[in-house]
Amino acid sequence: MAGRGKLIAVIGDEDTCTGFLLGGIGELNKNRKPNFLVVEKETSIVEIEETFKSFLTRNDIGIILINQFIAVMIRHAIDQHMESIPAVLEIPSKEHPYDASKDSILRRAKGMFSAEDFR
Amino acid sequence: MGLSEKEECVLLDQKLLVFMDQLELLEEKRERLNSLIEQGWFSISKARYSMGNKQVSALQYGSEMEPLVRVHTRTLESGEAEFQTKRRTLKSPEERQVEDIGPKDKEGVRRRVKTQEVPEIDQSDNKHPWTETEPAPSSKPEPNPQQDPLKWFGILVPQTLKQAQASFKQVVELSAEVATLQSTVLTTRQQLQMKQKSSSQTPDLTDLTDLTDRLT
Repeated sequence: MAGRGKLIAVIGDEDTCTGFLLGGIGELNKNRKPNFLVVEKETSIVEIEETFKSFLTRNDIGIILINQFIAVMIRHAIDQHMESIPAVLEIPSKEHPYDASKDSILRRAKGMFSAEDFR
Repeated sequence: MGLSEKEECVLLDQKLLVFMDQLELLEEKRERLNSLIEQGWFSISKARYSMGNKQVSALQYGSEMEPLVRVHTRTLESGEAEFQTKRRTLKSPEERQVEDIGPKDKEGVRRRVKTQEVPEIDQSDNKHPWTETEPAPSSKPEPNPQQDPLKWFGILVPQTLKQAQASFKQVVELSAEVATLQSTVLTTRQQLQMKQKSSSQTPDLTDLTDLTDRLT
């Protein structure tokens, strides 16, 4: 694993973004777009989806962390992402605890057990 | 020489057990990740309570940020992706350029006061002030892009904010592990599905040999 390394992006509420930025993942300068999006009540689903898609197209992002309640809003976009990099991790938010049954990755992993498999 | 049906079934079972173990490990790491995040939020809330609502908010974010942690990725032959974080150490205050405080002389050469006696050179003191030939250091301190994000919220921050930072630093490290495990789980699932398909399509060899015997 040589090279400069990739960034960790965050799409979350204010406390989530503040926490991760304290953790040192933030990048923001005059020339480039930030690698995080603070989602507030006024933030539209279109903006969230566009930001998510822009993170997917950037080749300098390795992991995308997203609050699960926001992931639910753009579930169709997350389910379309099949590549292993960048990895998409759904995390809980203060008002919405983590629900494994809604996680895209776990649904895909557990979805292999269909009725046909047991015939 | 292909594998017999029994051997294929054994391999499939082994793969399934590995898959189950990976799922269990993934759920354990997820639980740990989620509890660390909650711990971090709790610390942030306590810090906000002591510092004030606006003091711990998006308004305090720095105008320029440099990432202190990056993730290195690697794709294996099987299609699995590995993620590993690498954190940059912040420069210690001694390594940074010394800030010049006080009245500044004219930039450029500094004049020595000429005296008749030759001043004794203090051998113990290795840090000579700048000589006539050396220009004075720049008076403008360069902005440090590698600033600790804690400093956005003030010089003296409560311990709870430092605890929040420590929690989220651990979350970042754990996120890379969870991402690796997720990729492993999905790859194992794909392999299992392929094996299941191939074992269901492969006809029973004993039936085939009987059939060929009857035809001949």
